[in-house]
Amino acid sequence: MALPAGNAPVAVQPAYQSAEKIYPREIAGRYANLSGWSTLVLLGLFYGVPWLKWDGRQAFLFDLPERKFYLAGLTLWPQDFPLLAMLLIVAAIGLFFFTALAGRLWCGFACPQTVWTEAFIRMEQWTEGTRSQRMKLDKAPMSGNKFRRKFAKQFLWLGFSLWTGYTFVGYFTPIHEYGLQLARLEIGGWTLFWTLFYGTATYGNAGYLREQVCKYMCPYARFQSAMFDKDTLIISYDRQRGEPRGGRRRRIDHRAAGLGDCIDCTLCVQVCPTGIDIRDGLQYECIACGACVDACNSVMDKMSYPRGLVGFTTEHALAGERTRLVRPRTLVYATLLALLTGGLVSSVVLRTPVILDVMRDRNALYRELPNDVIENTYTVKLINQANRAREFVLSVGGLPGLELDGVPQSIPIEGGGIVSLPVRVRVRSGEIRGSRAIAFTATPSDNADDLRVTESRFVGPLSP
Amino acid sequence: MMAKDYRGARQWSRNRQAIAIVVWISFLSAAVATMLFFAAFDPVELGGLLDTDLNRDGGYAAGFFFFWLLSAACSGVTAWLVRTAPARHRAVD
Repeated sequence: MALPAGNAPVAVQPAYQSAEKIYPREIAGRYANLSGWSTLVLLGLFYGVPWLKWDGRQAFLFDLPERKFYLAGLTLWPQDFPLLAMLLIVAAIGLFFFTALAGRLWCGFACPQTVWTEAFIRMEQWTEGTRSQRMKLDKAPMSGNKFRRKFAKQFLWLGFSLWTGYTFVGYFTPIHEYGLQLARLEIGGWTLFWTLFYGTATYGNAGYLREQVCKYMCPYARFQSAMFDKDTLIISYDRQRGEPRGGRRRRIDHRAAGLGDCIDCTLCVQVCPTGIDIRDGLQYECIACGACVDACNSVMDKMSYPRGLVGFTTEHALAGERTRLVRPRTLVYATLLALLTGGLVSSVVLRTPVILDVMRDRNALYRELPNDVIENTYTVKLINQANRAREFVLSVGGLPGLELDGVPQSIPIEGGGIVSLPVRVRVRSGEIRGSRAIAFTATPSDNADDLRVTESRFVGPLSP
Repeated sequence: MMAKDYRGARQWSRNRQAIAIVVWISFLSAAVATMLFFAAFDPVELGGLLDTDLNRDGGYAAGFFFFWLLSAACSGVTAWLVRTAPARHRAVD
């Protein structure tokens, strides 16, 4: 690789240099606890929710083979897709709002990448021990002990990954039946493929890639700074209090010796999963996991200095000013969020069990039949949004003497089904002049209250 | 620098970064494209149009990998062109 002339030499790395392994140092403390709990709750939800039942079926199932989505009592069909799109938009705005308030708390405590990485690190600690034990183990030649520990770790990782893949697929195909199939070894096909695909992705992402995903691959990590302002919660090092940093004996009066509160133990750097030094200021690699806060607080306790040299704070708070939660940015996000959530909720609530669309045939205004009869043609689209088959009766009204032709007595439609009917409406020519409003009505035979009325036009000759 | 020695995290080479980004971002856009596409079209009906026997599972998978390949090719070529573009010439005084 040639260096561009005139530039300072840059470090040239081979494309696939085998990278040094990360040995994140474990740290106990408030944020480590919080992260543990958050991992437990979120993973519990992920692995538990597919097993919930509702009316004898899986409560939350995006049934792709059947093309219908079950969300508790709600059944959604492909034609309800706008609702799902809206839900995703609400989630995105929600994330922006949360980011403006709390910074990257999402990254540090709730992002699937973080949560699964945390679970995999726990398994690594159970089998291979602490950071120093792991480093020693990797340097040591292969032995019975090393083999057993590595084997146990891989066994846990792979088992957990496969279970994750199985659960993931269980959101899209009935999980209970799929489990029975697997147990009977009737495996194969695309469900197995996606189980292995997602399992492999989990294994690779949480076992090996870890925070590299946040650093190099995550678009949110790069643009989140656009949502930040001086009132956003960030992890920060109190430079005024900490500097000048330096080693000292425990009991000396460090202020008198011209030292700040930072003893330069570098623990905050050692525990950082993305390998930054928080004392250099806010960096986009920081995922706000709070490991450095826990590390620094433990050291401050040992030195009998007050906690919070590194902590969750805002730029305004660091500068001694007031932090405002209500500000134009948060107001705009909150308003958008409220409007969209309101829209989503009302469209779910107002969702009708029957949809009736009527389209006038554009090819001919009207047709004159023998015996002074005028005919208009329409295409009627009838959608049954209920989760069961229903029968519908189609009728037309709004003008005297209207008659329907070509429509069966009753129209059976399966759950979620769509029926498109060419419909002819006739009337004696003496009855009508010009364009008049008419109304089609679809009435379900099992519940006449669910009827739908849709208006259209009937066109006749202007003069007799 | 003392602190540097303690840094646990490794750095990725530029090529490795580019490949990882292309694979991951095209994966995300393929997921969105698959969702949009199959909300509008049923693979079984598409199979009828193309005169092939396509079941739903196979159709979804084929669609997803098609979109992934397409967007990976697109962002891969884009990344490559951006990175290999000739440097801007500076005016010589």
